[in-house]
Amino acid sequence: MVLLKDIRPPTEGVRHEQAETTAVMDGQKLGCGTLYVAETRLSWFDGSGLGFFLEYPNIGLHAISRDVSAYPQEHLYVMVNGKIKGENEVEMAEKAGDDEEDNSSNSGDEDDEGVITEIRFVPSDKVALEPMFSAMCECQALHPDPEDDDSDNDFEGEEYDVEEAEHGHADVPTFYTCDEGLSSLTQEGQATLERLEGMLAQSVAQQYHMAGVRTEQPNAEFEGMEVDAAAMEAGQFEDADVEH
Amino acid sequence: MESERSDSPPSGSAPVAEVFNSIRERSIAENSMVVLLQGLQGEVTTVELRNESSARGRVVNVDAFMNVRLDDVTYKDRQGKSTQLQDMFITGRNVRYVHIPDHVDIMKTIESHLAKIHRVRNFGSQGRGRKEYAKKAK
Repeated sequence: MVLLKDIRPPTEGVRHEQAETTAVMDGQKLGCGTLYVAETRLSWFDGSGLGFFLEYPNIGLHAISRDVSAYPQEHLYVMVNGKIKGENEVEMAEKAGDDEEDNSSNSGDEDDEGVITEIRFVPSDKVALEPMFSAMCECQALHPDPEDDDSDNDFEGEEYDVEEAEHGHADVPTFYTCDEGLSSLTQEGQATLERLEGMLAQSVAQQYHMAGVRTEQPNAEFEGMEVDAAAMEAGQFEDADVEH
Repeated sequence: MESERSDSPPSGSAPVAEVFNSIRERSIAENSMVVLLQGLQGEVTTVELRNESSARGRVVNVDAFMNVRLDDVTYKDRQGKSTQLQDMFITGRNVRYVHIPDHVDIMKTIESHLAKIHRVRNFGSQGRGRKEYAKKAK
């Protein structure tokens, strides 16, 4: 059994947390605890301060097992390359004796020798297996192989970048909010603003006189109409309700 | 080394649809044979791992780092023992071989997948995309 003492559960970037999860390492039950699928690493703690963590680059594969003839409980299967490092190296050497390969080094990168660790996370809630699996997929994808020599390829040309197209302001007229806009007005803009505000004030005043009564300033166009002539002149209150 | 996402969504989260999540992933994919594997979506095939085990199942997705997601998997370990697994995610680094089914036309698959990448890349310039924020003058 390989347990690390005094490691705290992760607090940030936890994509999924699953309590009441039994961990089984190479067939040995470690107890019941909580699995943390975090962006930095995968970890499991039994609640009394004991636990272990796995680095994603060392994880070879993970899968959902529902075949109860192979293993009596549905679980999340994780295959780790190499052996889990622990404090007690005597126990590790004993483990190595069980394998056919010679595990002379403690490094986790000896996957060419094929040494693996099989871990099963058995949650009490089987419905949780899918989100546990998905969270691991997401986190695994965040850790691509650093030795991959193709990973430095960068596209040189111009791509349609959705974010840039929507948020970039290259050819878009700039819009101002009210406060900053006032100071940005040109002289002409200022004059226009004053004129519009004047019209606004005028039509508001006329509205109060107007409800249900002929307007004092009849416009030939609107002769015969009783209401809202001035408002229609201003054109601003076409759909406003005038209370009668 | 963590991959940097220059635009929106985190990768790998959409289980079924093929996903090109970042400019970087697209450029990696188009410059390597991984496009062929990405074209195998939906096919049932065998993936041999570097540790001598193998997994046979239906390809759900392959990303630019050659991480393979499989469905309905028969997993055979080094000793030859088989188990059934429902969903599997194989880390790209662990993949030794991916069998290409006989009926798959390799050249066509590569070409059509590259075309998909280029369609996404050139989306704005072909008259599609949101017009109100067009980068180029009309």
